[in-house]
Amino acid sequence: MPFKRYVEIGRVALVNYGKEYGKLVVIVDVIDQNRALVDAPDMVRSQMNFKRLSLTDIKIDIKRVPKKKTLIAAMEAADVKGKWEKSSWGRKLIVQKRRASLNDFDRFKLMLAKIKRAGVVRQELAKLKKETAA
Amino acid sequence: MKTILSSDTMDIPDGVKIKVKAKVIEVEGPRGKLSRNFKHLNLDFQLITDEATGKKKLKIDAWFGSRKTTAAIRTALSHVTNLINGVTKGYRYKMRFVYAHFPINASITNSATAIEIRNFLGEKRVRKVDMLEGVSVIRSEKVKDELVLEGNDIELVSRSAALINQKCHVKNKDIRKFLDGIYVSEKGTIAEEE
Repeated sequence: MPFKRYVEIGRVALVNYGKEYGKLVVIVDVIDQNRALVDAPDMVRSQMNFKRLSLTDIKIDIKRVPKKKTLIAAMEAADVKGKWEKSSWGRKLIVQKRRASLNDFDRFKLMLAKIKRAGVVRQELAKLKKETAA
Repeated sequence: MKTILSSDTMDIPDGVKIKVKAKVIEVEGPRGKLSRNFKHLNLDFQLITDEATGKKKLKIDAWFGSRKTTAAIRTALSHVTNLINGVTKGYRYKMRFVYAHFPINASITNSATAIEIRNFLGEKRVRKVDMLEGVSVIRSEKVKDELVLEGNDIELVSRSAALINQKCHVKNKDIRKFLDGIYVSEKGTIAEEE
């Protein structure tokens, strides 16, 4: 019930609005009650409103406003990318992106695969029903 | 301005079972059970166990609170303290009859849950006051003209005392001279402190 993900230096967050939508960033400093200084390996260090950030469970060990090199080294040491792709939130985002990027042929293949899977499931269900009826 | 976090804790004595779920606090102790609903407050209630001493504590947080919500933290703790005291010690309010000429005639009815007041200032009107739930009223033996109200919930006991007091207001007279009435003389607990 109490809060577990706090805004702190080193907290990894997901940008949920704006030009950098969908990027993982690290909070490197807190400017005031509403804004933070955020940084990521592939973007210029900039300020962002907390309302544009969704906090994650991942936290890395850095000092206030580190240089880009130290930030990248700390992110490698904590394996932010790996932890993110293994977490259920990260996996869901990857699946959503894949589904959005399907072309018509891919969707056709998907439909055939779904029908095949449903057929197999129904066969097993029929088998189990026969066993319990007998 | 909004204060990012303000919080306060209170100890919970042994012998009292406390349950916190969704801003509804239930306290259980030797004298019975009491519960109170704090859903009108924007506060986080949680029970924690203190690492150092191993005792249970109630912690209340206010995130981004104005002055008023921060003030509400301590009042909520005081309400919980009253619940705990009510369930362990109980509350006893004593009231005295004050009259100059016409003796106030009070009779307890309904097995200590209602009181009838006659002859207040010589009036023919009979005043009947029903006590609230869980509150009992008796005329004290040994002390002349005294009522004792007892119960677990301080809100109900004190409100019953107020209802009795308000029934005996003097009308259309100078109240500095006509001092008749039934007044609260003592607010205490039932279990005696050694």
